[in-house]
Amino acid sequence: MTHIMPLANSLHRATIDALQRQAPFSAMAEDELLWLVQRLSVAYFARDAVLLPPADTPPDALFIVKQGTVAGATAEGQTVLQLATGEMFPLGALLAGRGAANRYVAATDTFCYLLPAADFHALLAKSPEFHDFCTRRIASLLEESQRAVQSEYALALDDESRFARPLASLIRRAPVSVLAATPLADALAVMEAARVGSVVVTDDAGQPRGILTLKDVLARVTLAGVPLATPISSVMTPDPATLSADAPVADALVLMARQGIHHIPLVEAGRLTGVVSEKDIFALRRLSVEGITSAIARSEDAARLPALALDIGDLAHSLLAQGMDAENLTAIISSLNDRLTERIIALECEADDALVGLRWCWLALGSEGRKEQTLATDQDNALIFAEASDVQRDALLAFALRVNHRLDACGFPLCQGGIMASNPKWCLSAADWQQQFTQWIDHGSPEALLHASIFFDFRPLTGDASLALDLRAWLNRSAQKNPRFLHQMAGNALRNRPPLGLVRDFVLSGNDAHPHTIDLKLNGATPFVDAARIFALAAGSPQTNTAKRLRAAAPALHIPDAELADWNRAFHFLQLLRLRHQHGQQRAGTVPDNHLDPDTLNPLDRRILKEALRQARKVQARLALDYQL
Amino acid sequence: MIWPFTKRPLPPLDATSSARRDTLVQPKIDLGRPLADMRWCVVDTETGGLDAQRDPLLAIGTVTIEHGRIALDASQEVGLTQAQSTAAANILIHGISGSEQRAGQAPHDALLSWLEFTQGAPLVAFHAAFDQTVLQRAVREQLGLSIAAPWFDAAVVAPLLFPDAAPHCRHLDDWLAHFGIAVYARHGALADAYATAELWLVLLQAAQRNKIDTAQHLRGLLRARRWLSVN
Repeated sequence: MTHIMPLANSLHRATIDALQRQAPFSAMAEDELLWLVQRLSVAYFARDAVLLPPADTPPDALFIVKQGTVAGATAEGQTVLQLATGEMFPLGALLAGRGAANRYVAATDTFCYLLPAADFHALLAKSPEFHDFCTRRIASLLEESQRAVQSEYALALDDESRFARPLASLIRRAPVSVLAATPLADALAVMEAARVGSVVVTDDAGQPRGILTLKDVLARVTLAGVPLATPISSVMTPDPATLSADAPVADALVLMARQGIHHIPLVEAGRLTGVVSEKDIFALRRLSVEGITSAIARSEDAARLPALALDIGDLAHSLLAQGMDAENLTAIISSLNDRLTERIIALECEADDALVGLRWCWLALGSEGRKEQTLATDQDNALIFAEASDVQRDALLAFALRVNHRLDACGFPLCQGGIMASNPKWCLSAADWQQQFTQWIDHGSPEALLHASIFFDFRPLTGDASLALDLRAWLNRSAQKNPRFLHQMAGNALRNRPPLGLVRDFVLSGNDAHPHTIDLKLNGATPFVDAARIFALAAGSPQTNTAKRLRAAAPALHIPDAELADWNRAFHFLQLLRLRHQHGQQRAGTVPDNHLDPDTLNPLDRRILKEALRQARKVQARLALDYQL
Repeated sequence: MIWPFTKRPLPPLDATSSARRDTLVQPKIDLGRPLADMRWCVVDTETGGLDAQRDPLLAIGTVTIEHGRIALDASQEVGLTQAQSTAAANILIHGISGSEQRAGQAPHDALLSWLEFTQGAPLVAFHAAFDQTVLQRAVREQLGLSIAAPWFDAAVVAPLLFPDAAPHCRHLDDWLAHFGIAVYARHGALADAYATAELWLVLLQAAQRNKIDTAQHLRGLLRARRWLSVN
């Protein structure tokens, strides 16, 4: 016998408040929540008690974990999921009106809310938020997380990153300075050559004694008719205001505003270390894809490109802060890095007569080949050419080496494994590439499979693209003709399991170098990348991008749209976590990597991470099914 | 069992309340039924002080356990209007302000609602003697009735089932902490009743694990224990 209360009593109110801390309840209307709460009961399950056994008939109720941890295990006894506060089960069985496939057991003493199945279906019809969440779980969680990230970063950008960072971080080049006795003609020539708006006059000890800007030149030199042989000291602004290089950007803004100046020499221990201009500071705001693209295209001097590479990093940070999704963000980073690499190649190529008349193509491999670059990226590249004499081949190698070093200077470290176009092993003719690929496909050794996973993501970057496209068409035909090879690739991919835990949420690294972390790249993103590569090769798709590969292969493999969408969302969430993690490391001045301590995530992101890794398992299960592994 | 007391004059009841009082049933509950099937009402009271014999009853919170689960809709909180607000010290303890105290129902109305809600179900409280005394006194003074339902004290059952934890656990909060029960914000009659109800769920399971299958059996053990501790 129950007494229906029209109004919320304090217990209902408290239950609503507790539920509202979790998605999807946080997004639901008050009256829907009250309706829900008045239909809930609370049950207790001691550790090891079975909450729900696998069954042939649909479950009677929806469970919402109130407190504690529930483990879901398959009929074979393998624990496949862990559910914590706020998580619901068995959603699939309730939605499909079938029996629960898993056995749900209390991993710790647990309290659960129970909602009768009929009320669950009524709530689906009543609340669009609840319906959305249950049917597109990972999507709704992501939207929730995205909103949180946006507000967090918006704050960080305005208050911290832009104006609190040290002025030294804006220094992009060695300062342009001259001695007091330097004739104006020489000083102006130096400014022109360096394309800067000011020149600092220093003494022998490197201390700033004066400054002359282009604006000063108009009034004090040109209009005043001062001869260009005059020493700069007679027209410079003496004893200019300076700032310490470790002072925050905000100090420079204040000083510029107070004194009406646009350039400030920066000093360390009294010595000039750089000049910061108003333009440098506001450039922080004006970064745009178009701006950087055109700056790269206009650049005639390879020495200026490293500064633009820094701009790409800054732009990526700012787009991340604005809440751009990982798919677009990694595509933008990759596309700008493409432009930069193309420009380096064009500049190096122009200067090299030995390459004239040669047909070659620069290949991007690995994450660059897939257009999935994050903020921590080393080089993976190769060269393909039609035919070349030994001399011409040496010229290609020399040219590739110059490009590799230019890229290194731009912040793409040389590949430790030597997978670079300047390595004679990876600068091959089209025929040699086919032979090399054939060897890997036939051999199937661990090393061959590893190489295949890097090289088979190749993409033409610049040069004669038809060389690469022909190789791709040939490769797809060869792979399709060799089911044994795809089978071996699949077996290899399945050796790398997503680190979902039995006892805790996640299996953490036992690696001493990165204790208590999970490797977001190896254990998170790679299962998707590996599976997509195999699906694409099997389907004969020329795509190299993971999301595009999955989309291209889905129809042939009969992968349902909803499943495909969940895989891609999960993959991009993992990529986003990598980007955010690396961004945080770069801001903290450490070298970016992929080792994340899941305890540093908020509860929502932890849940999404779990869900994303669960999706990685589903992709692998699909692979195992297709290749009977 | 209902019998009228005539030692003190009852406050006059209006016709409706009088009819409610007369039709009130407090059925005899079969304590021999399996524990898991029992309907329980878990109760907590707020009073104007810590003297069960004299201080006024301010509020009653009740949570129902049916088939081993707390039913959130079957919960009740009733406030009792006071002729005079109680001292500021007690307002600090219970967080019930003077205006809230006066905002409740008339005491006889509130108590009738409570009796109608519990329907004679076995009553559970933590340190039940206090709540039992307060409620018994209020029901007798306001309605001239006696509460027939059996009382179970979670503060006695818990050490019986978990003797190892007993030395460290005296208060409700100690037991909640011991079982890692994270409850909602406390210190309202209903919130405390709910916290006690979660504890009672844990105790019911433990009782069944210890082959205590009926309320009758549990009551027998509690009586033996009381006899042991008294003598």
